[in-house]
Amino acid sequence: MLESWDDDQLLAALGEAVRARQAVPDAFIEMGKGAYAWHHIDAELALLTYDSSRAQDRDATASMRSETASIRALTFTSTRLSLELEVTGDSLLGQIIPPRTGTLDTQTRAGVTVSTAVDEIGCFAVTPIPAGPFRLRCRTVDGADVLTGWISL
Amino acid sequence: MRDDPSVVALVTRAAGDDHDAWNELIDRYAPLVWAICTRYELGNHDAEDVAQNVWLLLVEKLGKLREPAALPGWLATTTRRECLRVATATRKSQQLGSTVDDAAPFADEGAIDEEILIAERSAALRAAFAGLPPHGQHLLAMLFRDPPCSYAEISARLGIPIGSIGPQRARCLERLRQSEALTGFDENEFTISTPGGGHGA
Repeated sequence: MLESWDDDQLLAALGEAVRARQAVPDAFIEMGKGAYAWHHIDAELALLTYDSSRAQDRDATASMRSETASIRALTFTSTRLSLELEVTGDSLLGQIIPPRTGTLDTQTRAGVTVSTAVDEIGCFAVTPIPAGPFRLRCRTVDGADVLTGWISL
Repeated sequence: MRDDPSVVALVTRAAGDDHDAWNELIDRYAPLVWAICTRYELGNHDAEDVAQNVWLLLVEKLGKLREPAALPGWLATTTRRECLRVATATRKSQQLGSTVDDAAPFADEGAIDEEILIAERSAALRAAFAGLPPHGQHLLAMLFRDPPCSYAEISARLGIPIGSIGPQRARCLERLRQSEALTGFDENEFTISTPGGGHGA
């Protein structure tokens, strides 16, 4: 292959290829490698679909709810349910939508899991908020089993 | 699209329980995901949100990809969809209307295909480069640097006569050409985008 390319073209393509890899931030690569932690987990994935800490999201809502502008809010969405989360003081308050009872596990990167009950209107509280990145796994009474991506607050 | 047996092997191994294979997939294709995020002019934070969703979707998809060789295309499509979601949120917040013109980042479908092709070619070139002996890698790295090192500087740094740089350059590039990592591309694919002006084969 590449017989049709002269040495200058090949060298230019090689330089382009190496620079394209160098342009990718290390954190971006590490996050991708870390995603393998979700392999072999039977739960359905819930993806981040809203994060108030994004500057543009915050700007958009500041005028409507300026009194709560400092509250961090996140939404994770899967096909069967959504998880609405809000940081209040040292607690993470959440609700399962549509509401139903179940169990919520908070898992840290170190592998520590803490279980919390989800009440009949789908609400739960995680206290205290884990210091490092964590993910939430939610098992509901009707058999949904959903796992979020890593959350850093 | 290129039918790359090494991609199929990596996907199959990663679908098993091989973290190294997964890491290699990330090393190969993170630049593609990153390049697409760049096209949508996403900041680092937004790009990371996009990437986390893309990789999680891939983990979920690993054992179910019907055509593992089509992975780069699947990644490009999924990344675009996630970028569009984030970019739409940005526009909404800036009250610029609720839709993003998805045609803007890529002039046409050919442009996304070209992005995928360049990503695959680049991954193969990096793999071939990594297979060269260290001396050859050093020499070529100084030559493809932008701007390139002068022959005098290369001579001083590598301790080789200026007169031997040209022949060594040619030998290293020939060895790169013969690399197993570069088998499988046909000439037509390489005429799509030739670096340095698009005057391909």
